[in-house]
This record gives sequence, C-alpha cells and structure tokens, in this order.
Amino acid sequence: MRSIKKEFPYLLFVLPAFILYTIVTIIPVLTTFVYSFTNFNGMSHNYNFVGLQNYIKVFTTNNVTSSFINSIVYGFVTPIVVTVLAIPLALLLDSKMKTRNIQRAIFFFPAVISSLFLGYIWNFILSPSDFGLINSIRISLGQGKLLLLADPHMAMILLILANVWCVTGWHACIYLANIQMIDKSYYEAAEIDGAGGFAKFRTITLPFLAPAMTVSVMLLLTGSLKAFDLPFALTNGGPGYATTMVTQTIITEGINSDRVGFASSMSFLFLLVISFFALFQVRIMRRREENLS
Amino acid sequence: MRKYKLSTFVLEVCMLLVCATFVIPIYYLVVSTFKTQAQIIKSPLGLPTSLNLDNYIKALATMHFFQNFSNSFIITSVSVVLIVVCGSMVAYAIVRRKNKLMGFLGIYFLIGFLVPVQTTLLPLFLIMKNLHLINTLTGMILLHSSNGSVFAFFLYSGFIRSLPPELEEAAAMDGAGAFRIFWQIVFPLLKPITATIVIFNTMWIWNDFLLTYLFLSSPSKATLIMQVYNGVGQYINDWSIMMPVLVLALLPMVIFYLIMQQYIIGGLTIGAIK
Repeated sequence: MRSIKKEFPYLLFVLPAFILYTIVTIIPVLTTFVYSFTNFNGMSHNYNFVGLQNYIKVFTTNNVTSSFINSIVYGFVTPIVVTVLAIPLALLLDSKMKTRNIQRAIFFFPAVISSLFLGYIWNFILSPSDFGLINSIRISLGQGKLLLLADPHMAMILLILANVWCVTGWHACIYLANIQMIDKSYYEAAEIDGAGGFAKFRTITLPFLAPAMTVSVMLLLTGSLKAFDLPFALTNGGPGYATTMVTQTIITEGINSDRVGFASSMSFLFLLVISFFALFQVRIMRRREENLS
Repeated sequence: MRKYKLSTFVLEVCMLLVCATFVIPIYYLVVSTFKTQAQIIKSPLGLPTSLNLDNYIKALATMHFFQNFSNSFIITSVSVVLIVVCGSMVAYAIVRRKNKLMGFLGIYFLIGFLVPVQTTLLPLFLIMKNLHLINTLTGMILLHSSNGSVFAFFLYSGFIRSLPPELEEAAAMDGAGAFRIFWQIVFPLLKPITATIVIFNTMWIWNDFLLTYLFLSSPSKATLIMQVYNGVGQYINDWSIMMPVLVLALLPMVIFYLIMQQYIIGGLTIGAIK
C-alpha cells in the first residue's frame, strides 16, 4: 500500500505522454499490421481477411516495387555522398579561418528551411522549362535546352544532389562538434613520429569520428528512406514513377485511392526495411566505436 | 595555437568562393523577386535594376500571411511546451524509479523511435476522423506533441542519468513531494538539453509538411508551409508571384535562425554526440 502511494505521483508523470503516444503511435502501428492482411477500403466495415495477398501484390505491382527501389537507392546513395563531403568540410571549417563562423552558418542554413521550400527553390533552377535557371542561361548563351528533371535517370541524380546540398552543412556540423572533442595531444604525438597530414587523418581523425558517424549515417539513412517533402516538391515523383518514393505511394494508394489494406502492407514492409537497415547500421558502426576504447 | 598563415589565407579565399557558389539557389530566389518575368529570363543572375516591390504586393494579396503565421505559431509553440513538459516528466520518472513497470515503459517509448510516422498514417487518419480532429489545430498539436515527446524522452533520459541524485534525495528527506522536487530542483538543471529540444522541435514542427498536408488541409487553417503549397497549385506558371511568396514564408525561420544560430549549431554537440 505504501509503495503504491509512493509510486503514484510518478505514474502521473508518465500518464499524459503514455496516453498520447499509445493513440498516436502504438495503436496505429498494430492496426496497420492487421489491415495489411485485409481488403479494407477505409470506409466499409465489412472487409475480409485476404491472407498474404496484399504482400504479394506489393512485389508484383510495378509502380509499387519501383517506389521501394527508388527509396532504397535514394536512401543509400545520399548517406554515402553526404558523408564523403561532410567530413572534409568539417575539417576545413575547423581550420583557423577568420570567417569560419559565417561559413558554418552558411553551410548549415538549408537545414533550417522546410524541405518543401528547398524543393521548390531547386525546381526554379532545374526546371526543364525555359524559365529554369540552368536552361535560361543556356538559351541566352545560344545553347540548346537540357532535359534535366524531365529525364528519368537525371531526375534521380539531380534529386539526390539537391538533397546533398540541403543536408551536408548540417552533417558537417555534427562532425565538427566531434572533431573539437578529439584530444590534440594525439596529433602532437603523431607529428613527433613524423606523420603527414593524410596519415594523421587516416589514423587519428577518421577513427575518432566514429561516434559522429554512427549518428550522422543513421539520421541520413532513416531520413532519406522516409523522404517525402523534397521529392514531392522537386519532381512530384516524376517523370513517370522515376522518383516516386515509398511514402508518396503509401499516401496515394491508401488515402487518395482508398486501398487501405494494400497500402498498409506497404507501410508495414517499409517499417521492416527501415528498422532492419537502421539496426544493422548502428550495430556495425557501434563496433567501430568500441574499437576506439 | 596555429597562426594565421598564407596557406590559411588561400584556403579562406577558396572557401568563400565555395560559399558563394553554395548560396546561388537562395540568391537567385531573392534577386528574382525584384524583377519582372521578362527581366528574370534576360539576366537571371544579375542584380535587379530597381527595387521593384510590385511582386511582393501581389504575393501578399494571394496569401493570408498573418493568419498563416499565427496558425503556424500556435501549433509550434503549444506543441513545444507540451513536448518539454511531457518528455522531461516521462524521462525523469523512468530514469529515477527503477521498477519493473518503469523498465517496461522505457522500452515501450523507445519502440516509437523505430516506427516511422509513415507506418501509422492510414489508421491515424481514421482515428483522427473519428475524434473529429481533422482540420483542427488541436489535432495537429496532439500529433506533434506525441511524436516530439518520444525524441525528447530519449534526450532527457541521457541527460538525467548523468545528474547526481543527491540533491533530490535531500529534498525528499525534507518532505518535498515528487512534483515539487521535479519542477523546482531537477527541471532547472535540464536547461541545456531543454534548449536543444526546444530549438529542434521548433524547426521540425514549423517546417512539417507531411502531417499538415494530411491532417490540416483546410485553407482557413493553413500554416505558412501549407499556404505555399496551396499557392503552388494556383500560380505554378507565374514565378513572379511564387518566388516572393516563398521568400515571405521563409522569413520567420530565417529570423529565428539569425537569433538562435549559436544555440542551433552548438545544440548539435549535446544533441547528437551524447
């Protein structure tokens, strides 16, 4: 009895968040799982269980499989390109430049802006019409117009590059915070041993950046697998289905076309894909961190 | 201390050139808002010849700037307060009361970390519909508060674990209750991590599009982001209106960034590496 009285206030601490989170996250996830085995259309209450039919349909419907492939391509290429650029950028921003604070602020800036807006801004530049910045420059120089976002492969490449522009500065700042925590005496010791700049980077900086890398790659991987705003604003999934991401397909199938059962099976597969890659990546990268100590 | 050497100077010049290239998209957006469509095509990157505000006047007439701003502001500020209150209290209870129930709840909340909001959208849509929360600011606030609290819980737990419990124990000896101990002693100590949580959630909630697009599509409830989206449908071919609309809608976050810049970039140190 006494312990209940003692614990009671702490239960009140947890209660509001518990109720909210259960309604907003836990019940919907479980419901998605149940719906994924039905032909529920979002309205009629007499729906039937259809077994694995929806899941089979995910793998046999062309635009759905291609949206999974697009998301996975986008989700894998982005972290690689951003990491390769963000680490050197962080090192440069750590040097003794007089304007380094302004530079940091400039590179970080896109992270503060809605990705929807960033998509529109890049559309002003990459638009295949006469008005797009790149094409209007080419026209004024007397050159032919480029297809840019109207070309399926080019659209994906440009989408990834636009995203790289948006997030690299932010991730460089994550690495920068980590660089500033590295003990300077390691570098002094290496200099005494006659190590050059690249050797120091490879043997000291890179391994010591393991904690930042775990976090940064995890954010990039999950963030770009879940991407919606930027592709929606920049290409709206086109041309055709060339840049349609899973999130967009879930919404068009489930909410705009009322195929809730089918879209639920996509959502659930998507949860599995994202959890698998995120847990796998963090596991591997944590091992690198452990090797540090 | 390394000195400012010639090589640093060369690097500095190169980096400033990179920065200049980096901001071209934003520069292009801003200079274009002062030009006519014909001028944009003629010299896209040139500085405007005169400070022509016509486009802004036209743009303001198409949006309901103050209405949109206040919708965004209400949703963001109320959600952030709820996130800080709920997230910190949950983290405190779970970290400090080490019993089976709290252990279970700790894991229960961590599951939310793995669940992408996309997986919850379809049932959430039906739940919100049944609760009559579609197209209401309240509905948006509840969604954002819940999603934000999970992340806040995660950051607060790490921080609270690093605090020594002696102060709280002493206060408990003096007969202070759980609520008083938390709000008067613990909560003030959480200031640095609270700042990080406030800044990041402000940015995320203000900039949210996905949830707003699905649950708050009515034009009278539009946030600034939604207003831009609605405008795109109408003015997609008239960039002379689109571009100033974007600049106006960007402005609040740019001001927020200029004021909080130091904390935003600094907040990453605590937020990300810890």
